[in-house]
Amino acid sequence: MIKLINAILVFAVLGAAFFMYSLEHSTRGLERQIVKLKSGIKDERETIKLLDAEWASLTRPDRLQKMAEEQLKLQPVKATQIVSTADLGAKIPDAPVIMLSDKTADPIGAMLEKLPQ
Amino acid sequence: MTTTNASDSRTVPPGLAGQNRIRLIGLIFSVFFLLIAVQLGKLTLIHRSDATTAELALPEKAMPRPDIVDRNGAVLATDIEVASLFADPRKISDVDEAVELLTATLPELDGKSLKQRLTTPGKAFVWLKRQTNPEERDAVYNLGIPGVAYVNERKRVYPMGRLAAHTVGYVDVDTKGIAGIEKYLDDQGALYTASLSEPETHTSYPAQLSMDVRVQQAVTDEVAKAVVKYKAKSGGGIVLDTETGEIVALASLPDYNPNSENKNLTSDQQNKLTSGVYELGSVIKAVTFAMAFDSGVMNMNSRYDARFPLVIGTARISDFHAQRKVLTVPEVFTNSSNIGTAKMALQVGLDGHHEFLDRVGLLDKLVTEVPESAKPLLPRHWSKLSSATAAFGHGFAVQPLQGLSVIADLINGGMSIPPTFLKRSKEDAEALAHRIVKADTSEKMRYLFRLNVTDGTATKADVLGYRVGGKTGTAEKVIGGRYSKTQVLATFIGAFPMEKPKYAIFVMLDEPQAVPGTYGFNTAGWNAVPTAANIIERVAPMLGVEPQFTAEDLAKLAKQAKSGAEKKHG
Repeated sequence: MIKLINAILVFAVLGAAFFMYSLEHSTRGLERQIVKLKSGIKDERETIKLLDAEWASLTRPDRLQKMAEEQLKLQPVKATQIVSTADLGAKIPDAPVIMLSDKTADPIGAMLEKLPQ
Repeated sequence: MTTTNASDSRTVPPGLAGQNRIRLIGLIFSVFFLLIAVQLGKLTLIHRSDATTAELALPEKAMPRPDIVDRNGAVLATDIEVASLFADPRKISDVDEAVELLTATLPELDGKSLKQRLTTPGKAFVWLKRQTNPEERDAVYNLGIPGVAYVNERKRVYPMGRLAAHTVGYVDVDTKGIAGIEKYLDDQGALYTASLSEPETHTSYPAQLSMDVRVQQAVTDEVAKAVVKYKAKSGGGIVLDTETGEIVALASLPDYNPNSENKNLTSDQQNKLTSGVYELGSVIKAVTFAMAFDSGVMNMNSRYDARFPLVIGTARISDFHAQRKVLTVPEVFTNSSNIGTAKMALQVGLDGHHEFLDRVGLLDKLVTEVPESAKPLLPRHWSKLSSATAAFGHGFAVQPLQGLSVIADLINGGMSIPPTFLKRSKEDAEALAHRIVKADTSEKMRYLFRLNVTDGTATKADVLGYRVGGKTGTAEKVIGGRYSKTQVLATFIGAFPMEKPKYAIFVMLDEPQAVPGTYGFNTAGWNAVPTAANIIERVAPMLGVEPQFTAEDLAKLAKQAKSGAEKKHG
């Protein structure tokens, strides 16, 4: 009887040991994965910061102003060009200025062409 | 005990001798396990001190600095990671070969000095190059020289460059803030910096400024153009939110690039708007007017005799635009009469004047987040003469930001709101505000400011639609102890829209010259005022101020359009 119990216990110990070992092994694997992901996140954060800085540098207003002056024909908005939403109704023309149903022509393109150079 | 045990072992029967042997073995085993346990404890619980060479040589890892962003989140200052290359000479087997390879990869390295540094006995750490770019780092790393490695360091960069450099400030090589908001962040202590940081991810919440980079650019650009156009020595511009005290833009020219390694700032490049004090001249008259209204000695119907210069002791106070008549209160303001304003101050009296200046905060140093802040320069003796001259801004110098802030308080309804460089909500501003003049006084001031733009010295500031009001100042500079006629400081303080001012604006030009188009004048009305008008026209749409036109404005606009059309045809 005692022999049987002993044998069961020995097998139980062996089983438990194996279970423990595999658990620990997988834990270590997960830990390695966590470390890897964490450093990956850190790298991504650094990249984001770098890109943010680059974006800010590319969109800095003095650069945009210089490019707009060189490339675009736009001018600063005059006070007279601003209309409040309440007054907007009065500004809507009765007939649409552009007939978008006319598929063959390019009405917007034509308007752009007409702009003074 | 041991001796008795030993004597026992002789007396016990031989069968039990084995038991002692087992005890001995047990003892040895327990000592052995104890040793392991001690070693284990030492390794895990007690911190290891044998760090790598790089960790030893590097200064303690710097605290992560929070980013600095504008009110809309545009990045003004941030940290980026850069690699710094170093070598451990003890680990390099062939110094000559290493030097050859390194100088071939990094041409800027000097072979001789490098070799000398690498062969210095006892050295365990030599910087090869700080803050390299990723390509250089990889190239050197791929050389595979033992003992050569890199560490990541943090570097502070200012993506917007010169824009808002005076407000943002800069850091030294150890990323310690030494100017502007950067210094403010350090002065708040590690606690404040840490409160912005997340310990887990080592990221931090940014410090958000009240500044709007678009407005900042418009102000900088227009002031820079004005400095060139009017051949001024320097210039400055501020846009202040009168309701919250937020500084939306602050530009002092000439400025500097915070990214450059070697700044060597001249005194000219300092932030003149906060670290310099100036006699602002006539714009200070607004303070005297508010005082006279508020103390009740004057009302809109009062009259001031400006026919003769005012004589106090041996000094004579006369007018620049002499009218030689009895002036009404609005006339004193729009003609910027020194005599009239001085008389107002004398009416209020010495103590009353001093008390009022103290109440509005012109006697104390202005405290904002930016550490570069100058104390006002006051007359040494508060006498009848100094009170009369201080009434129109002579012998009394303040930092321009302080002047603007006080005048903004006088016209915003009479509440004093301390200016700030950090974003602030309206509720917070209201909690900080306290009344300095009656609401009624403030209303009268608004009327006078608007009148001065429609009919006074600042007509060129009338950007149609935005209801601008303002006061000009042309202060003669003290050159060699005397007031100079040709070297002046032209200033303009204005606000818009005048019926309920939302933004106050300040423009300053130092020593502007008379140029073609100003008809021989170097006074503020011909240079600082048009500059302010340009700024308002550009920034008002950005700030969301809705234009409104009176019938008069529309008539003026129609006339302008007509003359413009005629010019085109002619």
